[in-house]
Amino acid sequence: MSDLPTTPTVSASGLTLRYGGTAALDDVSVRLGEGVTGLLGPNGAGKTTLLRVLATAVPPDKGAFTVLGNDPGTTAGRQEVRRALGYLPQAPGFHPDFTAFEFVDYVAILKELTDRTARHREVRRVLDDVALSDVRGKRIKKLSGGMRQRVALAAALVGDPGFLVLDEPTVGLDPEQRMRFRELIARAGEGRTVLLSTHQTEDVAMLCHRVIVMVRGRVRFEGTPAELTARAAGRVWSSTERDPGAWAGWRTGTGSFRNVGEPPKDADLVEPTLEDGYLLTLDGEASEVAAA
Amino acid sequence: MSSDTNDTSGTNGMSDGDGMTWHVAEDDLRAYARGELAAPMLWSADTHLLACARCRAQLAEVGDPVALDAGWERLDAELDVPRPGFLESLLVRMGVADHTARLLAATPVLRRSWLGAVVAVLVITVIAANAARTPESPAMFLALAPLLPLAGVALSYGPVLDPTYEMAVVSPMHGFRLLLIRTVPVLAVALVLNGLATLALPSYGLRALAWLLPALALTATGLALTPRLGPVLAPGLVGGTWIVLLVVAQRTTDETLAPYTAAGQGIAAAVAALAAGLFYLGRDRFDSTSARTPFAGYTDGGTA
Repeated sequence: MSDLPTTPTVSASGLTLRYGGTAALDDVSVRLGEGVTGLLGPNGAGKTTLLRVLATAVPPDKGAFTVLGNDPGTTAGRQEVRRALGYLPQAPGFHPDFTAFEFVDYVAILKELTDRTARHREVRRVLDDVALSDVRGKRIKKLSGGMRQRVALAAALVGDPGFLVLDEPTVGLDPEQRMRFRELIARAGEGRTVLLSTHQTEDVAMLCHRVIVMVRGRVRFEGTPAELTARAAGRVWSSTERDPGAWAGWRTGTGSFRNVGEPPKDADLVEPTLEDGYLLTLDGEASEVAAA
Repeated sequence: MSSDTNDTSGTNGMSDGDGMTWHVAEDDLRAYARGELAAPMLWSADTHLLACARCRAQLAEVGDPVALDAGWERLDAELDVPRPGFLESLLVRMGVADHTARLLAATPVLRRSWLGAVVAVLVITVIAANAARTPESPAMFLALAPLLPLAGVALSYGPVLDPTYEMAVVSPMHGFRLLLIRTVPVLAVALVLNGLATLALPSYGLRALAWLLPALALTATGLALTPRLGPVLAPGLVGGTWIVLLVVAQRTTDETLAPYTAAGQGIAAAVAALAAGLFYLGRDRFDSTSARTPFAGYTDGGTA
């Protein structure tokens, strides 16, 4: 794995949170710097829990973290963290009778922007940023799913936060909307720290300068997307039949099978992708063997 | 916004040459140019200035150029702002700050559907009480009326009805402040509706008002317990205890139920005062949620 960010803006160590007997977070330590960091992992890996902890929605049972130098363990520090935070939850809720403008304005008020003129200027700015100026007066219940996600992103961006937490923002979007959203996130990552939870390895490949992979509440990988991809070097091959020795294999559009795992000696090796590296990282034992 | 009642051109309430029935007073124009004119007067000025060349010209005279540019920028921005809804506009006209009005407009139980449901329940209960004509007191009404403010306040802030609850939790606005901003009007509306229902039971006299102190006691106790038990369990437990108390009281006496006697009312007042004090003392606990008991999260010196 590559060196961690030398000047981390968000730093967490030993975060642990248990729900009943299950460890949603198990001794998680991460360091984030400026730019977009991707958070990958299967369902139940603890991604959303980590995001909620870092967003100060839930305190951890153990461990500590700082955001932009502020410790959320104290009232004053927590207020500062929240002032610096933009949060887009996994299923953002809206007051359906609000217009896009009113909703973002409402979130701006929660962020302590009480001066009407300055607040409205800021609301217009973020709605412009997410290209929703034309529909700002429309009720949210009449907007499409993609537009609603952009309203939620605008709400997260209001107040120009230094730390942006995005929980699966591209879920349910069609390819064009997803591409637009990626543009917005890439722009949002300029000059601020963005933590992006996603199931889409393409999101990570296109947007992120670093990636964290979580499995069962633990960090299994932390590094650059290139390093995650390199984990699959020499471990992806093509064949005419599914290789029974492969950890995963599937028929591609060309009719041949793409296999991931430990290749046979005469395997027809192919160039790995980030997804191959991610899949092999999920298969813990296979990665350990390969690393040795 | 005041119409220009001292206007020597005689435009007070009458149409002048440019078709205007009024003009913005000079003091208001100066305040407007300085950016100090408050809503809703500001809105009226915005709208009027768009249509009135005379007031625009006067605005140019009374304001310095920099402030005037800022004013036009603000006007441009205001024209982009969608008009607020009925409740919000009403609150602003009543003198509520615009940002507070918007927070209140987002309160789930101030929506028409909830208020309609409360009115329907009260109407049915009053009709039933009048039909039953029990000599002592309108038992069903007195049992139900304290529960309505409890439920309204409980549902005004929390994950059950507030779709933006999680965003509110991680915002820098103090949770206790947001809770109070929503609780006070919800409680006031519930008490007013209960009061109107009481007026529909004139034959019981003051006995029909015996719900008031229990209502305050239940609501305050529910709020005081919320940091420890969460916004669902706390009011649920308090409401359940109230019902059990009434059932037990009914089985032990054929006369006025204990909560509605003078002693019972005194106890309710004491409980209301004590719970209100505890609620205030525990205000910092409304600052966050925890995984298990919403609101009972971070404390200074904690693990986070």
